[in-house]
Amino acid sequence: MKGLWCVLWSEIKKSHRLNFHSTLIYFSLLVWPAITYVSAYYSFKPFNLGAQSPLNRFFSSDKIGVFLLTGYLGYIFFWSLVQSAWQMSFERYSGTIELIFLSPVSRLGVIYGRAAADLLEGVWLFCTFALLAAALVSGIHVAGWWSIPLGLLVLVVSAVIWGGFLNVIFLFSRDSGFLYTVLDEPMLIFSGVRIPVAAMPFWGKAVALVFPLTYVLQILRELVIEGMGFIRILPSLGVLLAVLTLLFLLSGRLAILAERHAQKTGNLTLF
Amino acid sequence: MLSALNLRKVYVTKEKQGAFRTRKKEVVAVKSLDLEIQPGEIVGLLGINGAGKTTTIKMLSTLLMPTAGSIVIDGIDALKEPMKVKKIVNMIAGGERMLYWRLTARENLSYFGSLYGISGKALKERISVLLKEVDLEEAADTPVERYSKGMKQRLQIARGLINDPSYLFLDEPTLGLDAPIAKHLREHIRDLAVQEGKGILLTSHYLSEVEALCERVYIIDQGELVLHDTPKKIIHDVAAGDLLSVWVSELPDKTLESLTEMLLPFEASLTVVDQRDGVELRVQSKMEVTARVLQLLFEHGVHLQRLEVEKPKLEDAILKLAGRDVVGRETA
Repeated sequence: MKGLWCVLWSEIKKSHRLNFHSTLIYFSLLVWPAITYVSAYYSFKPFNLGAQSPLNRFFSSDKIGVFLLTGYLGYIFFWSLVQSAWQMSFERYSGTIELIFLSPVSRLGVIYGRAAADLLEGVWLFCTFALLAAALVSGIHVAGWWSIPLGLLVLVVSAVIWGGFLNVIFLFSRDSGFLYTVLDEPMLIFSGVRIPVAAMPFWGKAVALVFPLTYVLQILRELVIEGMGFIRILPSLGVLLAVLTLLFLLSGRLAILAERHAQKTGNLTLF
Repeated sequence: MLSALNLRKVYVTKEKQGAFRTRKKEVVAVKSLDLEIQPGEIVGLLGINGAGKTTTIKMLSTLLMPTAGSIVIDGIDALKEPMKVKKIVNMIAGGERMLYWRLTARENLSYFGSLYGISGKALKERISVLLKEVDLEEAADTPVERYSKGMKQRLQIARGLINDPSYLFLDEPTLGLDAPIAKHLREHIRDLAVQEGKGILLTSHYLSEVEALCERVYIIDQGELVLHDTPKKIIHDVAAGDLLSVWVSELPDKTLESLTEMLLPFEASLTVVDQRDGVELRVQSKMEVTARVLQLLFEHGVHLQRLEVEKPKLEDAILKLAGRDVVGRETA
């Protein structure tokens, strides 16, 4: 456990020094997501959001602000880890990935340490913005003070497991960069970030099931929009837990296979 | 002791066949290699490009899985228990990669140390010792991107020693370094073996470096062992022998005839080169002929202007081997 914490802390320090070396980066971490959120919010405004609106079947128009806020909060958490995994190519380029595999360090420790480190650095600013914005938007309804910390905990744990999975995928090949494109817009559209999953056609709902973000947003909205208590969110939490367990087991297996593949082909040196 | 037996590595690559089709192709990087390194010993691994040196080093360091063969390091089977082996080996490659350039030397070492489970006070102390050893104490908190090539290479050495490995694999460690820095690194490598008892495998294109440092040398060609011996023995067996150059004011035909006749039993090569102010005689033989050549020249009353004896180097032996195929026939 001490070793795992040691790796985690080292990854946090490394990530901070490598990726967050300028105050401009922090500025962009706030400005870009905030602009995206505001732009999404105002893109709804020209439309009829009254009682006749098709969207009104899924949530009332006064809750658009908080619906989008939770959606974008979740999206930024998950998206920052797609970017983090994509930067694995930097480790290939610099040759440091070989040195990680040369050492006896726990592979999952590095994979999740890297995900956790990049997540914390990448989202805290927008997270602060979202919490402040939550005080201004209408429609927030929580069962208790614990709902928000619980929502954030669910978000952090899910995102780290998702990030670990992506890191493993990027270990397989230098050509995994296509995931960057595949996971950007589809995750934004189908996970229910801007449009409720329930409002999508059948095939859209099927695609939504692929993204863990879908399950996380479901819980987050149950907690902060619908004001559900802990017992009432248990079914959704159970589904998420099952998805995350599957993802965790799959990551562990894939990490072993990725290392074996690298040992067989020597592809870690390719960049 | 590190012992590798019948090591073989075959890569399966894809070869393009038109726009969409590919064909699998097997490339044998290492055919069958036996290798041994004792603690405290520096062993050279030489070969021409594509001989399989880097593949061999990566197999020994567990980064590559051999297609066949076995590797046992201090009694641990590297193929069955790679994680145990990773704790006692490390690898250092030449060049400027394999470091985080935005991080300082101290931060790099701290990160790589944590990968080996070293933490807290022990890690801090280890980093201080290593920075002192590679003379980077003053630049310890400067980002690596501001380092010179030599400084980066010294940091690589420190990084490779972070886990205090029993066996160290050095792949072209002085590549592209200035002569004084390379010399300093060579001294450091020798100290690691002699004073700290580390078993070291060294590959280098600088053959004088291998000759100066290594007690034994493995020469491989196209993944196959061609020769294994001490550098001295390899030079003796493979190179053409000492090159004696004698400059004389003139060389009468009779003297040349006598000299040719005298050298016949010694399997020596004799070359006569006309120079502006006299004649240069070049005699090369594995046997000692200097005294006999000089005696003959004195007997014939030839006036000597200058005399040089050049000892053959490992490089001469490698160049000669490179001109043969693996079964040892001279190429046309």
